[in-house]
Amino acid sequence: MDSAILRIEHLTKVYPDGTRALDDVSFEVARGEFLVIIGLSGSGKSTLLRCINRLIEPTGGAVAFRGRDVVAASRHELREIRREIGMVFQQFNLVRRASVLTNVLTGRLGYVPPPWALANYFPPALVDRAFGSLERVGIPDKAYARADTLSGGQQQRVGIARALMQDPALILADEPVASLDPAMSHSVLRYIEELNRTDGITVICSLHFLSLARRYGTRILALKAGRIVFDGLPAEIDERRFKDIYGEEAVEVEIS
Amino acid sequence: MTPSAARARGGPAGAVASAPGGLRRRRGAVWYRSWRLYAGAAVAVAVYVYGWQVTQIRLGELWRGAYLIAPFASALASPDVFVRDNPTVRAAAPFYYGGESPPAAPAAPGPALRLSRAAGAIGDRVTATGAGFPPDRSGVLWWENQIGQRQRLAAVTTDRAGRFSATFTAPEVQGTHNLVSVEIVTGAGPLRLSPTFFVVLSRMVETVFLALMGTTMGVVFAVPCSFLGAKNLTGHIPGGRGVYALTRTVFNITRSIEALVLAIIFTVWVGLGPFAGVLALGVHSIASLGKLYSEAIESIETGPIEAIVATGASTLQVVRYGVVPQIVPQFIAFTIYRWDINVRFSTVIGFVGGGGIGFVLQQYINLLQWRQAATALWMIAIVVAALDYASAVVRERVV
Ligand SMILES: Nc1ncnc2c1ncn2[C@@H]1O[C@H](COP(=O)(O)OP(=O)(O)O)[C@@H](O)[C@H]1O
Ligand SMILES: [Mg+2]
Repeated sequence: MDSAILRIEHLTKVYPDGTRALDDVSFEVARGEFLVIIGLSGSGKSTLLRCINRLIEPTGGAVAFRGRDVVAASRHELREIRREIGMVFQQFNLVRRASVLTNVLTGRLGYVPPPWALANYFPPALVDRAFGSLERVGIPDKAYARADTLSGGQQQRVGIARALMQDPALILADEPVASLDPAMSHSVLRYIEELNRTDGITVICSLHFLSLARRYGTRILALKAGRIVFDGLPAEIDERRFKDIYGEEAVEVEIS
Repeated sequence: MTPSAARARGGPAGAVASAPGGLRRRRGAVWYRSWRLYAGAAVAVAVYVYGWQVTQIRLGELWRGAYLIAPFASALASPDVFVRDNPTVRAAAPFYYGGESPPAAPAAPGPALRLSRAAGAIGDRVTATGAGFPPDRSGVLWWENQIGQRQRLAAVTTDRAGRFSATFTAPEVQGTHNLVSVEIVTGAGPLRLSPTFFVVLSRMVETVFLALMGTTMGVVFAVPCSFLGAKNLTGHIPGGRGVYALTRTVFNITRSIEALVLAIIFTVWVGLGPFAGVLALGVHSIASLGKLYSEAIESIETGPIEAIVATGASTLQVVRYGVVPQIVPQFIAFTIYRWDINVRFSTVIGFVGGGGIGFVLQQYINLLQWRQAATALWMIAIVVAALDYASAVVRERVV
């Protein structure tokens, strides 16, 4: 087995309206990396992340996760691939009316027999595990609260706990802190960093702010109009490269 | 047009532009100079004068007719709900028309009724005297004709010695062998529910079930139809826009027909009775629930569904954990709301022959049986308010 957990080759996505959101994107992600994807909004970050677990069908190119071809996977194979890839979203994407516990348990759906869903059955061991996940993100006391009664930061931690339930080898995080205030942003990113460092889960995380990317990323990949314009270490992004990525007018701001 | 432009041009154009908004008002154009104000006021006066005439408003009738409705007002305070079976003491004496005399009755101990004459003709003045009754009690003197039909002659009260006397006019009846009887109430019997109460209750039960069946019919058909009327679902299939437009149009047209009108149509179709009411409520409910359900489906958030798909969940699981929690509570809330409306509505659907409590209520009113009508009205008020409260509690829980 090679060290790359994910290999992307010549990935292209053209939307039906003709928008070329990804244009010949190729890169590899090594096991244990914390890869941050940066770029202006509209540069293709969300599209790239969603092509990895095929929430969006790529137009061309190849995606290999742990050596398995994602693009050619059958429905059944795709479910098996997806359950090993956790995903965290900018808008948290929790089921608002459901309890926190139920939201966390849905992270395990890829592993339980589908008919159980009819009876809303989860074995006690899984419920224990869900409480464990909530403990990891510091909110076990919220298990029975309705998801939409939590603050933004708490909801995103539920999102992380849900991803954790999948026992994932890879977590995709699409601007996980874009809806949160700076203090909350750090708190949430530290939980993701913890999973990366302690559990060895590979992370691909898109972020809007370079300062956050520098602080958390072990490697940074920059997109501009669907193309990779930078791929390297955080320290390598200087003034020149910054303006390349964000445009001449941009000024780097610090998120404290 | 900016204020300065209006001012620069001045003249009539500026004046027109000034009318609607304070900002654009030309200096000096005060509100009482606006011709629109006077035109608007004149139109309003004309509308209400015509409205007053066309609806035949005659406030005086509220006074003049008050005596007609007064018994109803007092009946509301004493609805026909309870009756008492009071123990009575009875005595009787014959009174024959047509020249024949009744046989002499043997003297017996105990209460006895004696008439000043035992035979005579219609219109005779007769005095009835009683003795041997309990003292200080009241009762009624009855006339019973040959086939036992009775009519009230007078109210009587016994004195300290247990006697009474009353004079009456021999009434006009068929047959010759009449009986005069007296019933003196000797005590207070236990209260029991009146026959009216049971009639009204059984009709109320019918009403509630009418609403239940109508609502159920609405739900059964509205759920599948609502998927066709949801833009976010039909948008993806070929011809979907047409299906969406057609479904929504049918919903809107059907909804615009009052359920009472539908009830009249269905009584022609399936005959008088609750079934016509069920159909009317059902059809109306399909349209209004269909629209509400469709809107609930359209408001589904795709984010949570995307998140659950990303966990590797199957379609069944996605529906169960991503779609159902988003629409089912709303469906339940809308259904309870509809059921509420339907219960209220089914109380009047009887007025046009659609069954339920409205049917007996209308009868009582037509026969001026105010106390019975009051019973029906109280029943409606209490049951509707109770169901209202119950559904509010349930709705609170699910949403
Ligand atoms: N469903 C879609 N249909 C058409 N164009 C889309 C769609 N989703 C995204 N795009 C376009 O694709 C480009 C990349 O979008 P996205 O991946 O969301 O970028 P980012 O996440 O970096 O903001 C943008 O130009 C966007 O307008
Ligand atoms: Mg995005």
